[in-house]
Amino acid sequence: MDVSTLLQAQNDKFKSIEVDKEHEIDPGLLLVSDLNPIDAEAHEANLEDHLQSTARDGVQALLAALFSLPIHSSPDGPVAKLPAPTYELPRAKPLPKPKPQTKWERFASAKGIQHSVKDKKVWDEEKQDWVNRWGRYGKNKELEDQWLTEVPANADVDFDPAKDAKTKRKEVIAKNTKQRDANLARAQKAADPKESRKKEIESTLQSTRKSTASMGKFDKKLDGEKKIRGIKRKFEPAEVSAANERKSSLAILAGLEGSSAKKARRAEQDGQGASDVVNVRKAVKFASGGKGSHSLARSASTQKGKTSFKKGKR
Amino acid sequence: MEAREPKEVEDAKTVIFVKGSHTGETVNNAMKELMALKRPHAISFAKKNVVRPFEDSASLEFWSKKNDAPMFVVGQSTKKRPNDLTFARMFDGRLLDMVELGIDNFVGMAEFKTPKATPGHKPMLHFASELFDTHPRFTQLRSMLVDFFNGEVIESISLQGLEHVISITLGPTPPTLNTAEDNTTPLPKVHIRCYTLSLLASGVRIPRVELVPMGPSLDLTMRRHQDADPDLWKAAMKKPKMKKQDVEKGLGKKRKNMEVDDMGDLRGRLHVAKQDLSKLQTRKMKGLKDAFDADGENQRKRRKAVSEEADDDDSGGE
Repeated sequence: MDVSTLLQAQNDKFKSIEVDKEHEIDPGLLLVSDLNPIDAEAHEANLEDHLQSTARDGVQALLAALFSLPIHSSPDGPVAKLPAPTYELPRAKPLPKPKPQTKWERFASAKGIQHSVKDKKVWDEEKQDWVNRWGRYGKNKELEDQWLTEVPANADVDFDPAKDAKTKRKEVIAKNTKQRDANLARAQKAADPKESRKKEIESTLQSTRKSTASMGKFDKKLDGEKKIRGIKRKFEPAEVSAANERKSSLAILAGLEGSSAKKARRAEQDGQGASDVVNVRKAVKFASGGKGSHSLARSASTQKGKTSFKKGKR
Repeated sequence: MEAREPKEVEDAKTVIFVKGSHTGETVNNAMKELMALKRPHAISFAKKNVVRPFEDSASLEFWSKKNDAPMFVVGQSTKKRPNDLTFARMFDGRLLDMVELGIDNFVGMAEFKTPKATPGHKPMLHFASELFDTHPRFTQLRSMLVDFFNGEVIESISLQGLEHVISITLGPTPPTLNTAEDNTTPLPKVHIRCYTLSLLASGVRIPRVELVPMGPSLDLTMRRHQDADPDLWKAAMKKPKMKKQDVEKGLGKKRKNMEVDDMGDLRGRLHVAKQDLSKLQTRKMKGLKDAFDADGENQRKRRKAVSEEADDDDSGGE
């Protein structure tokens, strides 16, 4: 049986993919270069055909290279993984300078903590749908938005769960911004310690200049000092309402007292730190057996008369 | 501002298309079509600007900084240089290099009544002539055109998205052409053609490709050029350090004795010096000592050793 004719017919049906010329291929940039000299006669004879045929050979060679790359299927069809380009091109911007590690990055690398990227969507069991973790209708505002919140029995009378949740969220944001600013300042200091120290000294000098009774307005300017920027003093009208005057005076006093952290520290030093440690209301309830502070006081006064020998095992 | 900071692996270069004080229909159309090929990484200036790139690069540097775009195509048409296109590249806000080409013939995409490729898809690039490797002018042109069309590095490509190819061919090399400074032979013309691919069955996995002209088609002559300052070029060609994973993958050939075997493990070779076996410390076996040979010189030692033992025993017994 002569199979050769059948084979011949089969081969003729399919076009050949062989390319005679050698090409320099860079699959990373989808680049093929045909570095053979141009055939002058073909070029003269029919320019467009010659150009098209050389291009066809080159593209065939490039396709052969691309199809031999590792391919994996995706919903959009076969996707080939490209290697790094071999043909070198100049950059548009210089290489970035290595940034110093932040405090967390140093800790994480020391501990070996891997960074895992969180997804934007989270599965909500109740809604049976994917919801945003943050953003406009984000899940992080759940507590603030819900119309009903279970509140424990021992909570304050004026406990607002939505407000409480919101303040907690805002505190986290403030903490993150503060840490980020500290990281940036640290990076800047590390990058240029002289410049940052200079800036520090200048800002201290500026603050000393306006730390006078007249906020630096009537002080003589020394040689080399720059002009003070925008220090305006606001003069309140002579007559203000009693309520406003009271409010402003109390605000001054509050400012003098210091921030809440400083207050807590001072209270501890003075021996009044018990308010943080002991819940007075709970303690009274426990000690009085639910009867209240008055009954405690009464029992304390009656106890004074009695001799206290029944105190139990010590 | 953070988005404009330098990155280790850069994005696609944005190109600004600027028109000079006088342009013509050819230049306008050519620029429009080049912009269509380059979309979306292309910005076109609406107004005409008096710009002479070869004399003063200040305006280019200013525009580059404002628009965060490192490449330019300036189109002008003067009496001395009709239908002139200048390709320019920037590095670090300064001019890197420029190539000026004159359009001899331009056929727009509209003239070719054939299907066009989807805009935004990455084109394949084909360069044909040995001069692209040997002649510095053409090496610069190849670098400039690759950067213009395909500068962005991508990790993977969908094989269905390979729709078109841009082919740049030179004319035949004249025999008198060489790379000497005073060589006056005119440089061969540059032919740019764009084709769409049509893939045909070939019996094997790799299809046979046939090309269909898509347009635009440009015939250009080389005019002036400006080479890059060697130091600036060196700084621009600096590559980022390879990460550990790449070295482990076997990409860094500088480290010898390390290779990744078939199982994907990183194996290293240690070359140990020859050991001096005479100094080797082994287990001590008394019977193998010279003193305990059957006959020979050291018999005396043995007898002495044995008699000493006997004496000890006697003294012990008493």
